Amino acid sequence: MTVSHRAGLSRRAFLSAAGALGAATFACPSILRAQGAAIKVGVPTILSGRVAILGETASVGAKMAVDAVNAAGGIDGRMIELVIRDTKGKPDEAARITRELISNDGCQVILDAEASGGAFAVHEVVRDAGTYCVHSISETSSLTADPANTAHWIFRSGRQGIHDAIAGGLYASELAKAGVKRWATCSPDYAYGRDTTAEFMEFLTIFAPDVKLVGETWPKVFQPDYTENITNVLNLAPEALYTCLWGGDLVAFFDQASLYGLFDQFQTVAVNMGDAPVLEAIKNLPAGIHSGNRYHKDIPDSEANETWNAEFRKSGKLPTNWGWQAYTGARFVIEALKATGGGTDRDKLAEATKGRTIDSPHGVNGTVTMRESDNTLVDYALGYGKTISEAPYLTDFQPTAWDVILEHETEWKKRKGFI
Amino acid sequence: MSRMHPFARAGLLALAALCGFVLVGAASPGTWLLDTLTGLFAAGLLVMSLHLLIGYTGLISFGHAAYYASGGYIFGMVLQTPAFVAACGAWSVPLATLLAVCGTGLFALLVGSICARLSEIYFAFLTLAFQMLFVSIIQGLVQYTGGDQGLTGGIPRPAFLGLDLVQARDRYAFSAFLFVAGVLAVRLITLSSFGASLRMVRDNERRAAFLGVNTYAVKVLAFTAAGSIASLGGVVLAVFTSAAYPEWAGWSVSGEAIFMIMLGGLHSFWGPLVGVVAMRVINDVTLLYTTHTELAKGLAILFVVLVLKRGILDWLTDWRKARRKSPSTKEQRHAAP
Amino acid sequence: MLDLDALLNCFSATSCLVTQASTGVIIGMLLFLVASGVTLIFGVLHVVNFAHGAFYMIGAYTAWSAYGATGSYYLAVLAGALSAAVIGVLFERLAISRVYRENLLMQLLVCYAFVLVADDAVKMIWGAEYLAMGIPAEFRVPPYRFAGGVVPPFYVFLVATSLAVAVACLLLIRYSRFGKIVRASAQNATMVSVLGIRVPVYFAALFGLGCALAGMAGALAAPVRSMTPGMGLSILIDSFIVTVIGGMGSIPGALLAAVMLGVTRSFGSLGFPLFVDGAMFIMMVAILVFRPQGLLGEKALR
Repeated sequence: MTVSHRAGLSRRAFLSAAGALGAATFACPSILRAQGAAIKVGVPTILSGRVAILGETASVGAKMAVDAVNAAGGIDGRMIELVIRDTKGKPDEAARITRELISNDGCQVILDAEASGGAFAVHEVVRDAGTYCVHSISETSSLTADPANTAHWIFRSGRQGIHDAIAGGLYASELAKAGVKRWATCSPDYAYGRDTTAEFMEFLTIFAPDVKLVGETWPKVFQPDYTENITNVLNLAPEALYTCLWGGDLVAFFDQASLYGLFDQFQTVAVNMGDAPVLEAIKNLPAGIHSGNRYHKDIPDSEANETWNAEFRKSGKLPTNWGWQAYTGARFVIEALKATGGGTDRDKLAEATKGRTIDSPHGVNGTVTMRESDNTLVDYALGYGKTISEAPYLTDFQPTAWDVILEHETEWKKRKGFI
Repeated sequence: MSRMHPFARAGLLALAALCGFVLVGAASPGTWLLDTLTGLFAAGLLVMSLHLLIGYTGLISFGHAAYYASGGYIFGMVLQTPAFVAACGAWSVPLATLLAVCGTGLFALLVGSICARLSEIYFAFLTLAFQMLFVSIIQGLVQYTGGDQGLTGGIPRPAFLGLDLVQARDRYAFSAFLFVAGVLAVRLITLSSFGASLRMVRDNERRAAFLGVNTYAVKVLAFTAAGSIASLGGVVLAVFTSAAYPEWAGWSVSGEAIFMIMLGGLHSFWGPLVGVVAMRVINDVTLLYTTHTELAKGLAILFVVLVLKRGILDWLTDWRKARRKSPSTKEQRHAAP
Repeated sequence: MLDLDALLNCFSATSCLVTQASTGVIIGMLLFLVASGVTLIFGVLHVVNFAHGAFYMIGAYTAWSAYGATGSYYLAVLAGALSAAVIGVLFERLAISRVYRENLLMQLLVCYAFVLVADDAVKMIWGAEYLAMGIPAEFRVPPYRFAGGVVPPFYVFLVATSLAVAVACLLLIRYSRFGKIVRASAQNATMVSVLGIRVPVYFAALFGLGCALAGMAGALAAPVRSMTPGMGLSILIDSFIVTVIGGMGSIPGALLAAVMLGVTRSFGSLGFPLFVDGAMFIMMVAILVFRPQGLLGEKALR
């Protein structure tokens, strides 16, 4: 009695026909034919909704890496095929799609380009299924730092919240030493916003114990109107404001805050300002805003990075933090596959990824490494700079020394009971 | 068969369906079909329980997803309490399911008794307001509910009655059971004399009141029953994803449930299930060619509303009747809600 | 949690009081500007325009393009309002007019379908990235200060525009010939058409006006808000809260409700920052339970 409208269409039939479409979500001009059987890499990501730009730029990054290796002949003649699917930013959709990618689409490798909650959902699936996976977008430290989450076949190729917090705290402590003692925060009220802000304040207090947190305000994510938060901050009369608002929210916040002359009154540390789409969207960018680097073509100031930036922009999209992270994730997958000669055995791939150092236009010294102890990325360009009102919008970049970061990260892990 | 009491017939049908599902599950080679069907079961429970309100009682609830999510959350939170699992052992999962249903039922009873005094648009908005309040509460009580990240860390699912819910097939079988049970419950309600009261309230509330029906009580009971059955959908989702997320109580989930009902057909029992499948088909087929699933869905809905002017199953039924050219088909259509 | 000290401190300091009160009024008037279209359409046509957020979005995006092309903020606002009006009229003729007499669900469905199509269309035309207009040169001036409080001129302009809109709508609906005809048609279209008046034209015009208000709101607020496809959703929820609390169909009610909500948000973010949203929903629940017709609405025929 159950009415089924599947009308006899087997999804497998559809997909094998559509298999060559692969990353059919974008007008992909070069659909390469597989010579040997293609190696399929599943990419669950966000392609719709407010954060669609995350998936779009991550896809460009991943495709850059994959197209390059395919053009050079693939892995021993076998092409790599990216199967990019939209999770709509919903965690249970992410879980379902990852399962489908593995069981139905034959992906033996997952390059996870989902963020925060979605990444955890994907994580549970690849743990259960035992599939090799590289998380490329999630910045939540506990994904790799917490031993309860670890699995030797799962890696992270993106930045970590804790690294940013240490770098930020260190940078801000210089401001504190110059007399900026009263701090206020204005960050989005959800897990990322709360954790990142708390970590920043934790490290600021470690490096400059005499700073005082005079108040916090927590707008909701995607809140259109920040007026009450802005006037709150004005009432608190701090000497510096910290915010980890990002993307469109940061743009709106800046526009609204500049009406109140906020940026003339105190220093601002906007962690996520250094993102190309944000920098180019804010007209009349105030100068002197301290910002972390999400992705910037001058950080690191190398030719490889300039080339990468130009290459990325050919896609018509602006390079973002998500773009370089997905690119890096794809690079690690490719290098691992090269080492195993195209074999997709999970343990062999994991072995080939662990502790590996690869050349990277985004690495501090031209390389980035997948740290052996907890399967996460280190040595990527990290630091803070100040904004200026015209291109390239960010200047005076001060990279944070990785040995300092690592030292404090270890202490933080001990404090949290992770080691 | 036609001499049998309708309840017995429904029960037998349910049993047959359950056996069918389990056989399909056992025979299926990969896990794709099982996962897809599990997703459809959860949506089906949400939609059929809402159908009890919209199609049979004439109550349009914009906030039904709250009970869906509440089922998942209660189930998950209960099982994440070590004391509970220790105490109940092998009976943890069935008891947690029962608790989810009862807890949600209480919640629905509370909200329903406040909302049922109002009608039409005001009722709809009030249910929506309660749903948004519920989401605010979940996101606020971060220590208990995990806040906006949802219940993390996985939900322990101790094996029971030979079923290990970590295994795809067993999980599917459990979901199929909950689905069949939920739909059977809705069917039994609509077949019963209470169901007749529901239809009376839907068609003409004043007349029903004149006949001595306590329309307020009828509405509250319907709301409670619908909420309780929706919670089963939440349990299915929680088992499937080993988590619970505040998005499940979002108004877009409620909205999509309404659209699935409208898409499938308001005037028959099975219409909403047709809508669930249809929506999924539109989504998946579109995804094969383009990312513009929203556009496709929008156009499909416009087509159904403006061209067909009624749900798919309703249209099919009317078309079949017109073909058979029977004389008084106009009387046989349900009155418009 | 509850920070009553901060709240009481604020009441005692004039500068804080002025800033927060003006903030409340500003937030409220912006809310009203956005919600006015819904109230207008419901009040006259008894149709809930669930696609309201989509028209807000269309207005904002059109204004962005117009501003980029002409450099004039006022032309951009006009363009935003006009585009929303035109699309609104088309939508009304093609879709809404067929579901006037249908129930709420059909209206909801039709509007939802439109929202889906509009969101994707916007994404296709302008892309999925967020866009920002930037504050026009004439408003890039330091904020006004009085009694220690801070008020930006741009918001003063928006508040004034909001008030003007409110008054204009009220006058139009209550006293003008157009308003009387539309209200009469909504009550008894047959009789009005018997008098030789082309009722569908008036309905379409009113719906277009409501959409124009939404589009204008989107365009007016564009300088300080970033745009993404799908931005209409949060606007829709806010508009409904305002409309329900104020009274569905009452423009003065919507004004009052909006300012109340604005002040709640403003002082609430000091006193109970984590429950500001919750407080708004509780207000909505309270109104619906104790006074379903809203603060200034007419008692509904139940």
